[in-house]
Amino acid sequence: MSLAIIAAVVAAGAVAGCLGALLGIGGAVFLVPFLDVGLGLGFKVARAVSLLTVIATSSVVSSGTAGRHLINLRLGMLLEVGSTAGGLLAVYTVARMADSTLSALFALVTTAIAVLMVTRLEKRNVLETGADIGQFGGRFYEDESKREVAYRVKRLPVGMFASLLAGLVSGTLGIGGGILKVPILNAWCGVPLRAAAATSALMIGVTAVSSAPLYYARGEINPPIAAAAVLGVLAGSRAGFWLGGRARAKWLKLLMAFVLLVVSLVYFRRALG
Amino acid sequence: MTDTPLDRLEVHLGRLLFGGVVLSAACLAVGLSIWLAGGHAPLANGILATGLVMLMATPILRVVVSLVEYARMRDWFFVATTLIVFGVLIVTVTLALLKRI
Repeated sequence: MSLAIIAAVVAAGAVAGCLGALLGIGGAVFLVPFLDVGLGLGFKVARAVSLLTVIATSSVVSSGTAGRHLINLRLGMLLEVGSTAGGLLAVYTVARMADSTLSALFALVTTAIAVLMVTRLEKRNVLETGADIGQFGGRFYEDESKREVAYRVKRLPVGMFASLLAGLVSGTLGIGGGILKVPILNAWCGVPLRAAAATSALMIGVTAVSSAPLYYARGEINPPIAAAAVLGVLAGSRAGFWLGGRARAKWLKLLMAFVLLVVSLVYFRRALG
Repeated sequence: MTDTPLDRLEVHLGRLLFGGVVLSAACLAVGLSIWLAGGHAPLANGILATGLVMLMATPILRVVVSLVEYARMRDWFFVATTLIVFGVLIVTVTLALLKRI
């Protein structure tokens, strides 16, 4: 291992972190193929290192969003029951399945969500400020309309199931799993995109911690590579967060759907390859 | 907008996560520099390990602080919810430590 490899990992981490923060997903979805295929570190090391960058992204994005009322702490904690259980379960079950099977499943899931994102593009989900938001709802200041908006959480079991699935995918593939939760929370559970993204960003950290220590104990984390990836992602996600506050929710959704399709193509290729 | 205990918790947790990530990043940067310079290997590895463990410990600490705060708010439903999440994390950490030994 040389300075060149470390520099490449830092750069890849920065790009992944920036995209991740912009889209409200871990960004690890770009880092896993890079470490796995690009640097030839193997899927297991790529997954484990990537999970650590997910934790870093979660902490740094959440600390940036805190105070803007976008993070739904109660909904997040409730859904974390599902996502952490999924993360722990993944290590002992799905994570052991054949690479090609996992790639095919993941490709199908991302394609489905990309279609959902485009067909449900204008799902703002906001209510009048005085509306009853229930036990899990929230209020925040919406930049687009320049006023305080409220939302009510619907179909909680769907959100719980999505979180369990996201946890399983996170622990299995080394990604954050926000890629699964955010569209479902937005399309079916009544959560506005920004609140769903902020809540998901907080959740992915603790979700990754439900599986990462096990991979660390197995020696699947290469410390210098992990350090380089984490430092790159931290720099990139700060930049992405700064840019994200200036992008419109509609464009964010379109961009996210496009990214999902690209990711699914990559995984289809891997499944066939 | 009214400032509820939950809003204050959000700000509080934000600072905690920021502190954790800054400390671990500092360790990782120092450890990586020593490693790249080809310096004392056990020292580099030790500092890198400290940084990685700190990184993983930060979200766990977030859950612990949330638990204390929900107990203070006497919000028993969320005390129970947070306890379940904490329980899962304890299982993970215990299994990881057992594997290490």
